[in-house]
Amino acid sequence: MTARPVAQASAKRLWAAGVIIVAALGFLMFKGLTSAITFFKTANEAMAARAQLGNSDFQMEGTVVRGSVHHVGTDVYRFTVESSGVKVDVENTGEPPQMFRPGLPVVVVGHFVGSSDLFASDEIMVKHSQSYIAAHPGRVRAADGSTR
Amino acid sequence: MTAVAEALSQPEGSISALSETSGRAALALRVTGTLAVVGVVATAWLGLFVTPNDVNMGDLVRLLYIHPPMAWVAFVAYGIASLSSLLYLWPRTRHPRFDRMAGASAETGVVFTGLTLVTGSIWGRPTWGVWWTWDPLLTTTALLFVLYLGYLALRRVPGDSEAVAKRAAVASLVAFVDVPIVYFSVSWWRSLHQAPTVDLTGRHLYVHGSMAWTLLLGFVSFTLVYAWLVGHRYRLSTLRQREADECLTAAVAERQQEGQS
Repeated sequence: MTARPVAQASAKRLWAAGVIIVAALGFLMFKGLTSAITFFKTANEAMAARAQLGNSDFQMEGTVVRGSVHHVGTDVYRFTVESSGVKVDVENTGEPPQMFRPGLPVVVVGHFVGSSDLFASDEIMVKHSQSYIAAHPGRVRAADGSTR
Repeated sequence: MTAVAEALSQPEGSISALSETSGRAALALRVTGTLAVVGVVATAWLGLFVTPNDVNMGDLVRLLYIHPPMAWVAFVAYGIASLSSLLYLWPRTRHPRFDRMAGASAETGVVFTGLTLVTGSIWGRPTWGVWWTWDPLLTTTALLFVLYLGYLALRRVPGDSEAVAKRAAVASLVAFVDVPIVYFSVSWWRSLHQAPTVDLTGRHLYVHGSMAWTLLLGFVSFTLVYAWLVGHRYRLSTLRQREADECLTAAVAERQQEGQS
């Protein structure tokens, strides 16, 4: 006689698990279809679409230009990112990640300020290539500062 | 993989017969387990003490030796689960052992997908600057995790064992559709995550020297861990099935005796 309530309880639990899984799936599909497919605009695309973008938030990708990084205040950094020859000035509030350095591509999260071409960001994500290179003191740098 | 093959080739018998006659399978499993432990320890030692720092990542590069191998194992696990499901669905090869194999492999795959997500998150925070972002690769991997969790839940829905197994096999094949999407997401869409360091389609390795050897050892070691886990999980589900069958037979015999007396 005890078998029935047990079966009902486990059926209920299965339904709960099913509902949670379906909800999670729906959420992930939504995320995947909306934001993930166009994860970022490159700096040149952002400039080309400057008028339409207005002051809306988006993610912009570009390589940090060497020599452009300046610490302008507490937790405020200014630097320039470049993509396909188009440069955009960025002012970021917040401490950049450990791997942030000139020459590496970043994705900045934020928006253009007013009608200017300055991009205000509050988050920097540093991209890394699939290559890993051993660091050793004797490594020779190329003229542009890159290593191979 | 020999342990799994051994376990698969075991003839059906009673519980006691299984534990006695599966000596070779048990030995193969033990050897696989020992090799897996030795391999993982060697990978850890090479990864932590022998390999150099990376020019950009410094010490953080050391996660390279475990994170991609875990993702690889998850793919292998889902591949074997799909193959087993296909063999189950194909009427000429249908046998409960393929259903048990699919379940064991998918379960191990879920564990390794979870580990991939966790190690990736730990790696992402100091390098990218974020624990998580809705990048295509990350999103589709999270989807993969949830899809196979759903598959495991579906396996536990009570019902006629053959109907449950068929339903699960179909679900496993549906979930597998996401595997190539995960792998190619970095080349199909823009992402924060880089392309694979071990490029399977282009046959190129983007890492050299001791870093490359340690990474390859990591791949072998975690594949052995997978084989070992699946071997045990498969053996366990076989024993459970036998136990259930024998209990049923015994209960039927008892009821019959009651009827006669």
